[in-house]
Amino acid sequence: MIAAAWICLFAPLGAAIAITLLGQRLTRRGAGYLATTSVGMSFVAALVSFAGLLGDSPSQRYHPSTLWRWLTAGPYDFGMRITVDPLSVFMMLVVAGVGFLIVWYSIGYMDGDDEERRYFAYMALFVFSMLLLVQSGNLLLLLAGWGLVGLSSYLLIGFWHERPSAIAAAKKAFVMNAVGDATMALALFLLIQRTGSLDFEKVFPQAPAFGGWAANLIALGLLGGAVAKSAQLPLQTWLPDAMEGPTPVSALIHAATMVTAGVYLIVRTHTLFEAAPRVEELAAGLGAATLLLAGLIALVQTDIKRVIAYSTMSQIGYMFLGAGLGAYANGMFHLMTHAFFKALLFMAAGIVIHALAGEQDMRRMGGLRQFLPRTYWAFMVGALALAGVPPFAGFFSKDSILAAALAHGWYGQLLWVVGMVGTFLTGLYTFRMLFMAFWGEPSAFVREHFHALNRDVVGVSLAVPVGVLTVLAALGGWLQFADVWTPVSNWLEPVAPALVEASGLQEAASSAIAVVLGITGIGVAWWIYGARRAEAPRSLPLLEHKFYFDELYDALFYRPTVFLANALLKWVERPLVFGSVRELAGAIRELGLETRSIQTGLVRTYALAIAASVAVATLVFVVVR
Amino acid sequence: MILAAASAGNVLVWIVWVLAAFACLGSGIAVISFSNPFYSALSLIGNLASLAVLYLLLSAEFVAAAQVLVYAGAVMVMFLFVIAYLGGRADAPWAGGPSWQALGAVAASAALLVEIIVVIALKTSGRLSHSAKVDYFYGRPYEIGRLFLTDHLLAFEITSIVLLIAAVGGVILGSHSRETQ
Amino acid sequence: MNGPDVVWYLCVAAFLFCTGALGVLIRRSPLIVLLSLEIMLNGSNLALIAFARHHGREDGQIFALAVMAVAASEVVVGLGLIVAMARRRLDLDVDKLRTLRG
Repeated sequence: MIAAAWICLFAPLGAAIAITLLGQRLTRRGAGYLATTSVGMSFVAALVSFAGLLGDSPSQRYHPSTLWRWLTAGPYDFGMRITVDPLSVFMMLVVAGVGFLIVWYSIGYMDGDDEERRYFAYMALFVFSMLLLVQSGNLLLLLAGWGLVGLSSYLLIGFWHERPSAIAAAKKAFVMNAVGDATMALALFLLIQRTGSLDFEKVFPQAPAFGGWAANLIALGLLGGAVAKSAQLPLQTWLPDAMEGPTPVSALIHAATMVTAGVYLIVRTHTLFEAAPRVEELAAGLGAATLLLAGLIALVQTDIKRVIAYSTMSQIGYMFLGAGLGAYANGMFHLMTHAFFKALLFMAAGIVIHALAGEQDMRRMGGLRQFLPRTYWAFMVGALALAGVPPFAGFFSKDSILAAALAHGWYGQLLWVVGMVGTFLTGLYTFRMLFMAFWGEPSAFVREHFHALNRDVVGVSLAVPVGVLTVLAALGGWLQFADVWTPVSNWLEPVAPALVEASGLQEAASSAIAVVLGITGIGVAWWIYGARRAEAPRSLPLLEHKFYFDELYDALFYRPTVFLANALLKWVERPLVFGSVRELAGAIRELGLETRSIQTGLVRTYALAIAASVAVATLVFVVVR
Repeated sequence: MILAAASAGNVLVWIVWVLAAFACLGSGIAVISFSNPFYSALSLIGNLASLAVLYLLLSAEFVAAAQVLVYAGAVMVMFLFVIAYLGGRADAPWAGGPSWQALGAVAASAALLVEIIVVIALKTSGRLSHSAKVDYFYGRPYEIGRLFLTDHLLAFEITSIVLLIAAVGGVILGSHSRETQ
Repeated sequence: MNGPDVVWYLCVAAFLFCTGALGVLIRRSPLIVLLSLEIMLNGSNLALIAFARHHGREDGQIFALAVMAVAASEVVVGLGLIVAMARRRLDLDVDKLRTLRG
């Protein structure tokens, strides 16, 4: 079981290194198969670990394993340490499973691209980084994985590097993530100072003993990292731009796995957060605010991928809401179902984009239902799951979070209201997207540019993962149903015991209202976009500019920095650094020119100099002695 | 002082010394004064001869003989050959160039002379007044040879190499170069 | 010792040396410079012999003989240079030979 965990971690890394070293000797398709196989191996290994853990009794399910001592400095000792416990195995299964499907899908999607090998190497690297993050047994390795996923994200967003917009988006993502990394590092410093270690079993039990401000700072720092990685308020602006990357990248990194790392962090370090209850509530509040914000912005987006991106942002807001209020298992459950249906939506959208030769603007689409029937049904399943319509997956997970919110007290109930509004918005924007793209008469653009998929390897690799995910999105929610049947909560109980449990009445009421709101949203979308009975209202500039966050950050951070850099260049660097070098060179040249005049070329002058020096030296010698 | 130290055998030595010394100094000044190089070379031969006399007074017979044979006999002959070869072109104009150079030269040499004499006269505090007694065997070729082959063997060998190099160098410098002329 | 003290010989040697130095510094013809150089060497030879006599050992004479040999080699090379200069029709004037100026 431990060995399986290590294999799970290192298989994708091995694939990445192999692809890099083999270079041109590996065919492009071969690189894809190699990457897919390695992630598949990871998934199998994760299953083995899971089976191994099942064999243990619940209180025994904790197996750390250190491969080597990585860093020792005085009393501090950090090892290459993974842990096999319910939470990490849960994440391993999600990451490796969904990752496997998406990498397989990439074989078809990226077929024909010149730099396919680089893509698969990066994807394998990413899977390794994410697994490192979720499997790590101490916070240092978690931070290492954190940074590595940020790197992989940067590399993959900017994959089509000839596009300036892609490069800019990659930089933006990386810089915003770096802010989070910094706050996390500060929190870790404080932790080391307080506890002298970063291993989970040493740090977490000591959490209640921290002083008030220390606990708050640590939790705040960790929250900063989580917010940056998961694109929540206020560090959310990078996620929509990250859609510049290839669609499978968006599916894997910016829907299913990387952006959920923040939720995982909160759940993993929940004792630290519980020691700082205000910060935990802040986390929930940020989640709720983001949920609302993203939902509103999604209403006016025209790019199909951006709608899905904002939807991701919104759903992670739900997860933060759950985790922040102490409903850890619920949050993780939603993470899992969200991975299924969000990846499904992205991949289906990817098929659409592929079929339309790269077009992503929904206003040019229409009537694709006739051209891509199976994709349409897959998309429909994903949309219904997202909107929280029973019996699809999203219904169970999202509603469990909202019900738990209801049980939390006045603050939770406030957030519950926000969550309900969000549910309405979710139904609205999701089905707006579906109706705009698939219903109605085929637009002129579609007629002109559509080309169907073939039944070759490409077609199979595109179709099968989507099919698998459709099934998962449809049935995955049945893994946990309210109070009645809770294997997920039971599974995660040893690691992250829930703080709140909703009562049966709250569950029922909350679910009913949520479903009603969701269906209302779908209905409004149908009214406006499906049946074209009414005209869409004109959108607000506020929404179109994404609440002016980009402009705010530009004015607040970017412009002053650029101004300062230019000022420094002009006033400090040019005169002092360049000038001093030039001055120095000039001075030395002057000195050389003057010394030159000593060389007259006359032998007699030189001889005279020698004689005079001897005379003087003798005099000195005689006088001194 | 001179008169007090004079005694019968001494007087002769003193007279010889005075003659030789003044000949030495005079010919030295003559060498640097003549504009005709031939006269300068002849003056140098005179200088060498008077020096040989002084060496004899210092009981250095072998060195005196070597001086006459080697220096006056070989080296000066070489000089004269070259001067004869150069003929009219050997005429040596007196000092030219910046006048401060000539003045400086005189000053430097004078200063050096004064310093040395001051050192000898004042600073040695009587250590130079009593010379060692030497016997009949002092300065014999036997002693010179013995020292050359025992204590100062390295100097002997290196000097022979230097002479070899000089001979080779002379040949090379004197040979006709192919391209010029 | 019969006759003058060693000190007198040393004075003569000093005078010879400085005369030679003056000649080297003042004269323009390379030939005369070489001759003045010879005078300087002889002056130091005399000093060596005088000191040898003073100490009663012949080591100074050995040194003087070595100096003589070296002086001879140097004259060979110097004269070779002068002959080469003359062959190339260069002016035999130290002041005119100043290509190595800075």
